[in-house]
Amino acid sequence: MLKFIARRIAAGAVLLVVISFLSYLLLSVPDADVGRQLLGQGADQAAVDAKNASLGLDRPVLTQYADWLAHAVRGDLGTSWFTSEDVGTAVAGRLPVTASLTLGVTLVTTVVSFLLGVWAGVRRGAADRFVQVLGVIGYALPGFLVTLVIVLVFAVNLNWFPAIGYTAFTESPGGWLSTITLPVLSLAVASVAGVSQQVRGAVVDVLRQDYVRTLRARGLPTSRIVFRHVLRNASAPALSVLGMQFVGLLGGAVLVEQIFGLPGIGSMTVTYTTRGDIPVIMALVMFTVIGVVLINLLVDTMIGWLNPKARAA
Amino acid sequence: MSRTTRTGALAAALAISLALAGCAGPGTRSSGGSQLDIATLSFPQSLDPAHAVGSALPFFQATYDTLVKREPDGEFSPMLATGWTYNDDATELTLTLREDVEFADGTAFDAAAVKANMEHFKKGGGADAKWLNDLETVEVVDPTHVILRLKQANPAMLFYLSDAAGLMANPAKFAKADSLRTTPDGTGPYRLVKARTTIGTKWVYERNKDYWGEKLPYENLTISFFDNETAIVNGIRTGQVNAALLQNADQQISIEADPRVKTTEQEFDFQGLLLFDRAGRLTPALKDPRVRQALNLAIDRGTMLSTIRQKRGKATSQVFGPGTQGYDPELDTYYSHDPARAKSLLKAAGHPKGFTLKLPRIAAIVNDALAASLATDFKAIGVDLVWDDLDGGSAVQKVFTDRAYSGMVMNMGQSSSDWVVVNELVTPGAFNMFGTTDATVRKLIPQIQTGTGAEAEQAAKALNAHLVQEGWFVPFYRMSYLHVSDGTVEITPQSGMAVPSIYNYAPAS
Repeated sequence: MLKFIARRIAAGAVLLVVISFLSYLLLSVPDADVGRQLLGQGADQAAVDAKNASLGLDRPVLTQYADWLAHAVRGDLGTSWFTSEDVGTAVAGRLPVTASLTLGVTLVTTVVSFLLGVWAGVRRGAADRFVQVLGVIGYALPGFLVTLVIVLVFAVNLNWFPAIGYTAFTESPGGWLSTITLPVLSLAVASVAGVSQQVRGAVVDVLRQDYVRTLRARGLPTSRIVFRHVLRNASAPALSVLGMQFVGLLGGAVLVEQIFGLPGIGSMTVTYTTRGDIPVIMALVMFTVIGVVLINLLVDTMIGWLNPKARAA
Repeated sequence: MSRTTRTGALAAALAISLALAGCAGPGTRSSGGSQLDIATLSFPQSLDPAHAVGSALPFFQATYDTLVKREPDGEFSPMLATGWTYNDDATELTLTLREDVEFADGTAFDAAAVKANMEHFKKGGGADAKWLNDLETVEVVDPTHVILRLKQANPAMLFYLSDAAGLMANPAKFAKADSLRTTPDGTGPYRLVKARTTIGTKWVYERNKDYWGEKLPYENLTISFFDNETAIVNGIRTGQVNAALLQNADQQISIEADPRVKTTEQEFDFQGLLLFDRAGRLTPALKDPRVRQALNLAIDRGTMLSTIRQKRGKATSQVFGPGTQGYDPELDTYYSHDPARAKSLLKAAGHPKGFTLKLPRIAAIVNDALAASLATDFKAIGVDLVWDDLDGGSAVQKVFTDRAYSGMVMNMGQSSSDWVVVNELVTPGAFNMFGTTDATVRKLIPQIQTGTGAEAEQAAKALNAHLVQEGWFVPFYRMSYLHVSDGTVEITPQSGMAVPSIYNYAPAS
């Protein structure tokens, strides 16, 4: 297991360098004229050129990348061109928001999906059909519509939760919970729809296995069969899907962050990418790659623990 | 653990969670007088006054004072400067300064601080640094008197001193490179609370207890950035945001339906086609004023205003705004929608079959409806409008650096200063990138620059009329923006700014 983890981490490090290089190249291709964006359309060309030179944009791209890399490996991610803030501080400040959202959605999805999936897979019949219909509805509903309805109903009309903003857990645990409830709910709808179907399908498959029939024949109660044997073997596909969703949420909850005014990584990515703020974008790319590598490693490790057959593969 | 205990623990955890969420409550409406929450769609590049610009000014007004204060109606009143006088030819502006003001570390605000600030602003590389291009030297006469010596008369100098160029920071911080970017140090009514501020998201200010001037109504001020108006509107409705400016017409209509909300309209930006290529270098047809007049006559401003802006605004044919001396209400309707006349003008100019006009299109400014409307209107007179879709970043490069287009549809703020309008749109510069001019413009500009009050006003009106008649630009309409409050705040619009000054908010009676 340790060798497996070490190999994956080493591969992740190589991936980080390759992606950072490709990303920097791609970001440098468009004619963004950062200096003029900073100084405004009415600025003198001399001032624009001076600004671009002060940002190092008059150097060859490879030189710029090498300079960035040399600082990045020492932990210096630079300063935002558009806010003058230290990039590391800026990204770190938004991580708790995204982490809250991502972990919250994953937790809710895991609990609700497994409950629904197991219930549907074990009971079958009407329960199964009900869960499948819920799944279709959850998938079919556009995410932005779900989010808008949730905020209008529960925040604007009923005033049960705030419509916008984020309160840090360290500032107020109750406030934090209050501000992430609706965003988590918005994202969890589609998430639960997908994962519950995975769980349901896997449970049905496992219940058909000979060893399950044998366990029943030996007189074990259904609950024990399900929670001790079936769930363990049915979890792998669901874990894979959860892992992919988690990765997607790391940088992808943009719409929810925008509607709820959450200062997370998703909205930061959109705002700073539009402006061409390369130091910030590169930090976000690195953060995402690291997140993807770690999450995949965690998922693979958990699948290996749940299913020893998978370890050898 | 038994099943009953497990179930009970789960139920208890759920109940506690819901209770915590409920206790924290939804957005609490701030009590008038203690907390003011403002939402904004833009934020400053840094908190160094050298980088202050436009709609980000309130961020700076919170912690810095200006030399001159611009009142909501555009009149100037004393602030850090208690008085000012020009010499006869308006090339020297003498300021008398307050003598009872200090920065937080005890550094005195004095003439030396003014000199240091103005030099810092001029060399600071900010977007508005060009405002001080005419500033030759700053002479310190004594601690409370300073003379700004200008290369030539600049009628907008007081405007600049009431705006970004007049913000006064602690000069002791200039030596510490970049320290003001995230840690402002001024004499203003508030102090930035860095521990609760997240640059790029939320700026939190608390009252400066040592402020020399009149206390503003609110103890605490928060300015929050949002990248969409939907979140702002929801924040207003739930009381999490007390005040904001809405530009989008649909959002304005939506919020006006809420009886709790107070709204005030203001026209500030105009939307129109800024023609750069009046010399015909890229599009030869544009050299002839009859062609430019034809473009103006082709535009159905009324229909555009109705369908695109839901009538939120006023059609106009002029670029001088109502706050300027050059503004003439009659020029708003100088060009009617008359495709037949437009065609005959094109024919007389030697373009009976029209011509092709290629323009850059940035989706954030020219949405699908506007793009289609303009293409249709121009097509009706034989002008084939070709849109070149660009993203925001490359547009700036291609339009202003490469000068690849004959014009651009833009939203432009209408300053209350005639000289600012002249410098921005008429004299050679970014928006007159090919340096077009004519004998009338050359004659009138000096009169605006150095003329007495009545002379300057007459010249400004004459220049405005000339620009309209010659079709220098193709303005569509002035856009109405909506100042919105959740009912707890009175907002007074600010002349010359899209957003209110920080001084223009007060608890609603």
